[in-house]
Amino acid sequence: MNNRPIVITRSRVAQFGSIVGGAALLIGIIGFIWQGSLTSFVIVTLAVGVAGLGLWAVLNPQEFTGFITGRQVRYGTVTLFSTLLLIGIVALVYTQLQRSTVTLDMTQNQRFSLSTETLGVLRRVTRDIQITGFYTSRNLTTRELDDQFFRLYEDATDGRIRRVYIDPEENPAQASRFGVQQDAQVYISYLNTDGTEVDFNTLARVPRSGAQERDMTDAISRLLIAGTVKIYFEQSLGERDPLDTTSEGLSGIHNGVQESGLVTAALNLAGLAASGGDIPADAATVIFARPLRGLSEAEIGVIDRYLQRGGALLLMADVLYTDDAFLGESDLFNQYLWERYGIRALDAVVVDTASSGTTALDVVSAAVYTDNDIGARLAPDEGISTLFRVARAVDVNIDSAPPNIANGRVIMSSPLSFGETNLATLGATNQFTFDEGQDLPGPLTTVVWSFHQQTQAKIVLVGDSDFATNGLALSPQGNGILFTDSVAWLTNLSERIQFSPQAFSANLPLIFVSQQQLDLITFVTIILLPGATIVSGLAIWARRMRQ
Amino acid sequence: MNTLTIFRREVEQYFTTPFAWLIAAAVLLLTGLLFNQNLSQAARGATIVDPAFIPSVFSFALVFFAPLLTMRLLAEERREGTMELLLTSPVDEGSIVLGKFLGAWFYFTLLLALTLVYQIILLSISQPDIGHSLCAYIGIWLYGGATLAVGTLFSALTENQIVSAFLSMIALMLLWLGDSVGQVIANLEVARFVRTLTLQGHYSTSFAAGLFRGEDVAFYAGIIVVLLFLTMRLVASNRWR
Amino acid sequence: MIEVKGLTKRYGDRLAVDHLSFTAKPGEVLGLLGPNGAGKTTTMRMLTGYLPPTEGSASIAGYDILEDSMEARRRVGYLPERVPLYPDMTVRGYVTFWARLRGIRSPRKHVNAALERVHLMDRQNQLVRNLSKGLRQRLGLAQALVHNPAVIILDEPTIGIDPQQVIEVRESVRALGKEHTVLFSTHILSEAEHVCDRVLIINKGRVIAQGKPADLRRQMEPKTQLYVVVGGASGKAARQLLSAIPGVLAVERDGDGYSLTVEGDRDLRGEVSSHVMQAGYTLLEIRQATTSLEDIFLEIVGKSR
Ligand SMILES: Nc1ncnc2c1ncn2[C@@H]1O[C@H](COP(=O)(O)OP(=O)(O)O)[C@@H](O)[C@H]1O
Ligand SMILES: [Mg+2]
Repeated sequence: MNNRPIVITRSRVAQFGSIVGGAALLIGIIGFIWQGSLTSFVIVTLAVGVAGLGLWAVLNPQEFTGFITGRQVRYGTVTLFSTLLLIGIVALVYTQLQRSTVTLDMTQNQRFSLSTETLGVLRRVTRDIQITGFYTSRNLTTRELDDQFFRLYEDATDGRIRRVYIDPEENPAQASRFGVQQDAQVYISYLNTDGTEVDFNTLARVPRSGAQERDMTDAISRLLIAGTVKIYFEQSLGERDPLDTTSEGLSGIHNGVQESGLVTAALNLAGLAASGGDIPADAATVIFARPLRGLSEAEIGVIDRYLQRGGALLLMADVLYTDDAFLGESDLFNQYLWERYGIRALDAVVVDTASSGTTALDVVSAAVYTDNDIGARLAPDEGISTLFRVARAVDVNIDSAPPNIANGRVIMSSPLSFGETNLATLGATNQFTFDEGQDLPGPLTTVVWSFHQQTQAKIVLVGDSDFATNGLALSPQGNGILFTDSVAWLTNLSERIQFSPQAFSANLPLIFVSQQQLDLITFVTIILLPGATIVSGLAIWARRMRQ
Repeated sequence: MNTLTIFRREVEQYFTTPFAWLIAAAVLLLTGLLFNQNLSQAARGATIVDPAFIPSVFSFALVFFAPLLTMRLLAEERREGTMELLLTSPVDEGSIVLGKFLGAWFYFTLLLALTLVYQIILLSISQPDIGHSLCAYIGIWLYGGATLAVGTLFSALTENQIVSAFLSMIALMLLWLGDSVGQVIANLEVARFVRTLTLQGHYSTSFAAGLFRGEDVAFYAGIIVVLLFLTMRLVASNRWR
Repeated sequence: MIEVKGLTKRYGDRLAVDHLSFTAKPGEVLGLLGPNGAGKTTTMRMLTGYLPPTEGSASIAGYDILEDSMEARRRVGYLPERVPLYPDMTVRGYVTFWARLRGIRSPRKHVNAALERVHLMDRQNQLVRNLSKGLRQRLGLAQALVHNPAVIILDEPTIGIDPQQVIEVRESVRALGKEHTVLFSTHILSEAEHVCDRVLIINKGRVIAQGKPADLRRQMEPKTQLYVVVGGASGKAARQLLSAIPGVLAVERDGDGYSLTVEGDRDLRGEVSSHVMQAGYTLLEIRQATTSLEDIFLEIVGKSR
């Protein structure tokens, strides 16, 4: 009786070995595929597998060889391997197609194709650019859709533009380095010279509006001109301070200019005039943010030489109640501007009796001219207007402009406004009345531009400087836009990034349908079609049943 | 040749039994209701009519609809004993499986074509993005093929149609859940990889958005080929088990 | 036509067919006779390529069922035990379908011939689901012979149909035997006797007897039985007396009397009675038990149990 269990144990052990060995071998192989390398876990399971099968083979060789050479195993392994082979082929084809981007954009507005404008911009990319997207896994589909789109940039530049995705929750350190605030934010930047690390000096966030391509291409264009366009803030005439962070300062627009990839610097006009120097050749634009005094002849000479070379000026001329005011009516520079460029400032404060602001001196843009890019985004009827707190009237000589000059208005005040010329009273008592014959009748111009067709010199004259301060630059929205688009025009940025409007129009399918039509459609689709299907099905069936 | 014979019998079967017609009516009713809702919303200016709307309805409906179409394909043959005759006829298992699968796909294609009626309606009352719609339709057609292949496989696994339908619904549900993978898997790269293995992962952000990608075609075609191959081996396993 | 060598099928531990060997010549109706569970269906399934044999080999018209499965299958018409039907097809559609699958390009003529043969021509447009059981059986037959195969394999085609139709089916099978090799299974002996040229009796997967129905009968004849009840003799005396009668091979006690096994087909009733009388006993009963094939079958099957 005692012998029996021992005999059974022998084949039992073999059976046990076969099961454990097979399972361990399977787990080992899966583990190897999963982890991709021979980790100790994989080695141990494989060893257990081989040992188990070995046990089986030794203890019950007959069953073992029978199994190995059996039909089941033969067909089973053939099936297994041919399935794996097939999956391998599919995976190969898949990755090949993925890598070579075999795609076809079938949307009407070519959402997944780059416009020729964008391709033009991309052709100028010579340094490696990285698009860095921060998406959590919850925003997977957004990421996938965006990726489809970013991929076009990568393909169009043969990989010069590359895509990197970071999960802000997995990698909060990176996220805070980039300044990520919400999910699905996208950044663009150059790479360092060694091509591994993001060049944080050039980092810019890509806005997310409806026009995906414009946002991205804009951002790239800005990156392309980064460091090549330099803006000078004149500082020697008592102007507002670009580093001042109070509500009277200009730090906001200064940072904005930098974030747009432009380089800023200070200019000392008085010093240049004294030393007989010139405005630096790299100055794309010089900003005069409310100089407090008139210019000397030497200073005008420096500016004139600069303009002759094709320079650009942004002049913000506020109302000043001093005798030696910048661009006073008899000021030399004002005369120079009028004679050469057909624009000037007037010694009149715009009073808008119909102002929607707190006082009649809050001048809101009433008419905007869009023949120049500066005014393109400032349509008052779209709710985007500018607000000047104490505005100075300016003038433009369009009809008999000086030779080679193209000029025009950008913004005018309302027809119910007038130009108070009695500055002394206004400055002292803050009172204004319309004096027939003395004061200027409205509407009055507050922003003008001038362009010299031969020298390419450009000037924008704004009868206000408050609009660009930290207190007012962002609210109302129009103020910031006026500044940005003025600089863009002056530095030719807007010409470098030029889109045909329809390239991005959403072109939504409009529906023209009456209630009657809707009812008909409802009837046809909900009652007629399904009903007819059921009836014809039943009819066919009934006929068949009778056969 | 044999494939064609089996395909023809399969299609005939769809058209001569009330079951297939009822399914068609149900699908038309479902898509019709959703379409009307969407349309009246759009007409009131609340939304636009998504060019991929109807195909996207299918992308979910197929989870339940494909198993209904395929549950009987092989399970019924086994239950009725006709599988024994098929396997003892000079026909290779590939033809059997392929013919049956193509029959189901053909039926689905016709059903899908029926829903083009909504596109015609849209065309008569607005200027829909036809290319976009076409792309979504191509996508859902391939997607449908893949779901039917899944159903075919499960139909070969069991004799019981209900079990077959139930199992393939579960499988399809898992395969479908692509867009919500991110809610479950926190790691973005893993979630992304898992999503590329799902049905939705190759539809909702490409075909449905109007972008035709070679890799998506490869994915669906790959699923069809691999699953039909497995089904074929499964059917053939009778011969060597 | 059919050649089977050592064919074996094991379902796990259960041996369903055990080293079966036989051949069937062209134009022969070979019967597989055996009780339920004898392994008839399993054998046929292996021959038609539906199941793989565990061991052994078989060929049909010279083609090995494993190596040349396709060619072998091309030459077989098969009617499984349970007639496989597509209820939603018409009679004609059903036969046409199978004709096509058996490689007939334009099946019209073949289908007509097959339908004529099983007398279903007038019902060709009916739906299969509306046919009676007997008609379904005939339809199954039509499907098996539509491609004019060399070998026709029929698995208990008469099961579950009414007697009139059984006769019809038997007639059809007999007729088929003139042109085809028919392998025909049944568990009813008389049926095998009527229909088959040759019968294989199998039980538990093994052949236990084979031959022409008449041969089988003859093989059995030496074992003709005579039942005798002798009055007035002790058991030993009676046994001695009976054994001494020339022509008696064996004597066995059977109830009140004795069962004698008689040599050949001699009628020993007269001799037995005169011997008994001569010895001074009385003959209370004498009865000859003529054996039918049924008895052979039962006996053989009983012995092999
Ligand atoms: N699929 C199967 N699995 C396990 N055993 C089976 C299977 N099919 C048949 N058997 C067994 O094999 C034996 C022979 O069955 P079968 O060939 O159907 O006999 P017959 O057709 O002569 O009645 C029976 O004992 C049966 O129980
Ligand atoms: Mg049987």
